Amino acid sequence: METFTNEILDLNQLPKHEAISLTPLHPSYWKVMLIKIAIAFLFIAVLAILAINFIDETAGHQTVIWSTYAFLLAIILFFTRLSFKKKAYAFREHDVIFRHGIIATTTMVIPYNRVQHVALHEGLLERNFGLAKVELFTAGGIASDLGVPGILKPQAEDIKQLLMGKIQIQL
Amino acid sequence: MENHFNHPQRQSKIGIIVLFADSLQKYARAFLPIAFIFVLKGDTINVLYLYLGLLAIVVIVGVIAYLRYINFTFYIDDQKEEFIISEGIFNKTRTSIQLNKIQQVNLSQNIVHRIINVYALDVDTAGSDTKEGNIKAVSHEMALALKSKLLENENKVKTTEFTEITDPKTNFSVPFLKIDLVSLFKIGITSNYVRTIGLLLTFFFTIYDGLSQAGKTDVVSSDNVNSLIENKPIIYVILMFIVVMFAVVFILNIARTVIKFFGYTVAKQKGSLVLSYGLINTKSTILKPEKVQITKVSSNYFQKKLNVLEIKIKQAVGHADNKNKNIIEIPGCNSQEADEIIKLLFKELPQEGEMLKPNFRKLGFSIFLLIIVPLSVFYSVGHWVKPVIFDYVSIAVFYAVAITILLCFGFRNYRLFVNDDYIIKQSGAWDVDKEIIQIEKIQALTTSQLFWHKNINIGSLTLHTAGGNVTFYLGKFDRINQLVNLWLYKLETQNSNWM
Repeated sequence: METFTNEILDLNQLPKHEAISLTPLHPSYWKVMLIKIAIAFLFIAVLAILAINFIDETAGHQTVIWSTYAFLLAIILFFTRLSFKKKAYAFREHDVIFRHGIIATTTMVIPYNRVQHVALHEGLLERNFGLAKVELFTAGGIASDLGVPGILKPQAEDIKQLLMGKIQIQL
Repeated sequence: MENHFNHPQRQSKIGIIVLFADSLQKYARAFLPIAFIFVLKGDTINVLYLYLGLLAIVVIVGVIAYLRYINFTFYIDDQKEEFIISEGIFNKTRTSIQLNKIQQVNLSQNIVHRIINVYALDVDTAGSDTKEGNIKAVSHEMALALKSKLLENENKVKTTEFTEITDPKTNFSVPFLKIDLVSLFKIGITSNYVRTIGLLLTFFFTIYDGLSQAGKTDVVSSDNVNSLIENKPIIYVILMFIVVMFAVVFILNIARTVIKFFGYTVAKQKGSLVLSYGLINTKSTILKPEKVQITKVSSNYFQKKLNVLEIKIKQAVGHADNKNKNIIEIPGCNSQEADEIIKLLFKELPQEGEMLKPNFRKLGFSIFLLIIVPLSVFYSVGHWVKPVIFDYVSIAVFYAVAITILLCFGFRNYRLFVNDDYIIKQSGAWDVDKEIIQIEKIQALTTSQLFWHKNINIGSLTLHTAGGNVTFYLGKFDRINQLVNLWLYKLETQNSNWM
């Protein structure tokens, strides 16, 4: 009871989660995304070539097929680039913030004292670029779990250690 | 004599009957095809063999039931603070549940339990659903003793929270709320129309489908129907149909509500609520206030007039697929009783506080989605594909008007109330729901804003709790962000017990 105070909170004095500058994902993550698109479109291209050569109905529609293909590729590249640009994160003292979304900008905030466990995820491609994804799980189910991709492996390790420490303290 | 459950012990002896019934039910499915063949060929097989066969089955099942009884033991390990159940005749299974993980202990009775007066006891944990304990048959005293033992052990961990007098007499069931038959009737006739109509339609179509597959559509052929309604004005037929429909819905609703919730009592026990209800299967559930995540109070216009309302309580869920299990319904209490229950859950009555309204664009968007889009589809189909459907233009108009009214009411009721400790979201057009969340139960917060809403400063907010999410669409984004900052501050400066 010795130094108990109970001042009125000034809402404008509180740290503003929406105003802080967030860290963008590591540039190498864009390469990972590109390679994933390339693999998918290579697969589609193979299918298209097979279709053109073996299905008679496609004869004479080659231009249509390939222009659709190019159009789709362009659109997907554009939106992937946009989504990469839009993704950003911040690990604050007491919570983690992750922002993403092309049409709607969605910002998720999870206080560390609600995190149940932390995991580090490395995909095959990500590993080749030395990247990892920090995954945070809460008791709120799938909707309130969070994965922050595109962080350099050593950094991700540090973050995980830090979070583990924060969780441990509360227990 | 007080039972400490420290040593492995068996279920009630008479409970063998329950195990017998349970096993019989299990094997009946496997034996059914064989039995069916026997019955079909009944005249060629000696009746004696049939009876002998049946007797053999009963004896075998009886032996299995006995072995299951012998091999089933449970006890509480005081050192490790675990509840341990061992079962299995050949494949032994040992389930141990940490006492402080126990979320609920449910007592239930089916018809067999009722006859021999024993109870089944289920132990629910917060985590995975594989590790759940289920004891098939124990006597009433034992069930109650075990239940209180299991839950009392948990209270030890947080002794400071419950400083109530634990007088052994008041320990068990002093119901402070009993829901009478009249209230159940009131709830039955005023709720769940849509669900029951849906069920009815499904039922009807299943039957119809079954009949048409069996080639017996002539039972309900159009001739029959025509003769029934001929020479009568169309409006009369429609009215008759509506009246019959409503009558059926009312009866089904009342029957469902009464069977499910008959004799609903709420009792206080060591800071928890004990709910028991049911006509055929009696269920008893323990509800701990600190495990409540979202409390939903709903009522509609009729229910307000009749002074009844429904409370749904969502507890922490381990997995998405057993969500329904963790919703507890309290049907048909009046507003004072509801206040009492809410006071028990929160230790006070949450006040509504500051009100946030949605932007009018929310109404605009729903009108666009539910009226303009379907009507344009209707018009385009009529204009270009099948002009015949313009005969039904009155239905389209009726639909548009009805939906508009519903949406307007829904918009008017759509509010978010915020005060120091609670967030209350109000929504619904006919059934008005109030979802109450304690700020400390929030697990994560999400804000979302469409890029064309940036300049007009509106956006959405989602509160994630262990009992599900609550979203408020298109409120003032500045204010939402300010509130998020405030809530984050509150969550991060104190380590509250959210479960």
